[in-house]
Amino acid sequence: MNFLTLVGVEFKKIRRSKILFILAVAAVILWIPSILNAKMNFGMQAEGISPENNFFIQGFMGMAWFMFPASMVVGTVLLSQTERANKGILKMLSLPISTAKLCIAKFVVLLTLAAVQILMMTGVYYISAAISSGTQDYNFILPTLFVLKEISLIFLSAIPMIAFFWMLSVCIQTPIFSIGIGLASIVPSVLIINTKAWFAYPMSYPFFVITAEYGKLAANLDMAQVELIPWIPVAALIALLCLGISCLRFGQAERR
Amino acid sequence: MSVYLECKKVKRTGFLPAFIGGGILAAAVPIVNMAVRSEMYLKQPGSPIQIMLGANWQMMTMLNVLLAVAGTCLLYHTEYADNAMQKMKSLPIRESSIFLSKAVLTVFMSLFVLVIEVGAIIFCSYLWFELGSGFWGELCKCFGYSFLLMLPCIILLLLISEACKNMWVSLGIGVVCVFTATMLPTTNFALSLFPFAMPFQIFAGTDITQSAHYICGAIAELAVCGLAQLIFVKVRRSFE
Repeated sequence: MNFLTLVGVEFKKIRRSKILFILAVAAVILWIPSILNAKMNFGMQAEGISPENNFFIQGFMGMAWFMFPASMVVGTVLLSQTERANKGILKMLSLPISTAKLCIAKFVVLLTLAAVQILMMTGVYYISAAISSGTQDYNFILPTLFVLKEISLIFLSAIPMIAFFWMLSVCIQTPIFSIGIGLASIVPSVLIINTKAWFAYPMSYPFFVITAEYGKLAANLDMAQVELIPWIPVAALIALLCLGISCLRFGQAERR
Repeated sequence: MSVYLECKKVKRTGFLPAFIGGGILAAAVPIVNMAVRSEMYLKQPGSPIQIMLGANWQMMTMLNVLLAVAGTCLLYHTEYADNAMQKMKSLPIRESSIFLSKAVLTVFMSLFVLVIEVGAIIFCSYLWFELGSGFWGELCKCFGYSFLLMLPCIILLLLISEACKNMWVSLGIGVVCVFTATMLPTTNFALSLFPFAMPFQIFAGTDITQSAHYICGAIAELAVCGLAQLIFVKVRRSFE
């Protein structure tokens, strides 16, 4: 079976999982307070950020801090539990497919879920920006190119984090530990982004990137900026390591 | 008997170690915070408990609630995963009594987590502050209040887990609710009555009448959730 067919099969498996519904609800809930508090965006002169930029960045900071990583944990649970529920994984492992390929196919599905969630956020962002523009008589809608740049930055910076969560769910068989460690590792990311060792902690990448963008957009705020040199190699190393371990460990518990 | 059965069921699921580990992690928050930047807090006015809860309670509650989310999902996941629920339903036990014993188990474990956190607070107060005369009374009131406000959240989480047969759906709803709670403004009374937002309230330093309102709110929510569970089980039975 070629790789694309495998990915297609994985997508078929989660077709009736209602995961898209959960992601959509999260996206809508995220933007409701922004619409209600749209007036507050005009009081940000001290930070030196324009109202439309503030509207955009506050919403995405809320997403990158907790909702986005937590949804990815939910996604890993979905991918592992759909297989384990009725011993489907045993049937998959009995097929003449390399387990590493299967593991990567599932990871691609997870990445797609991440992309879908970010795109949903962006869609709801445009709707809520349009609504706020109507209520506040001020144009909140940002140019598409700028928004695309920001959301692709978030997505790329999230890849090591997603790889880490995927490794957790593959390596740890008891679901409560993989969920618990995943969710608990998100909480301290607020503290970690203020330290110098943030680049060693993949769960803080998306949030760090978006706060750095906030620092760039707000003239009077001095946020730590992304330093590419320790970050990119470390992030690539973490992502490859996590993926390598999960490829090796995938299906081992069932084969024993 | 029924609670004992539930304890046996969670034996190999990692439920107990997860709660112990989560409790220790949450208890480490104030200790680490005080160890790293104690000079920032020593100058603040107010009692030691007030200062420490003000600085750390947000993160500790977040961990507590996330732990409750994961734990309740798991409790019902073990029932639904291999259709054990069907066997449970064929036994001469009410479905509500299964719910009740699961609730007792989770509440007890949450209490255990809170006790670990109390230990951490006592340790920090002893090491960095002076234990005043009213310290123990304030401590008991504070954590009794936190425990009570935790209850509606746990019961609602169990209700969600019972309603959703797939683990990721209940986990997803739980996570979305926790996220909503972090977005809600804490100053608005009506909005902070949302069960997931209530545990973030702190007893120390707030108005007594307002705390009384929260306690009434928590009891009312418990009653509503309990009633909803009874009705839900009856309705679902008639459709299966």
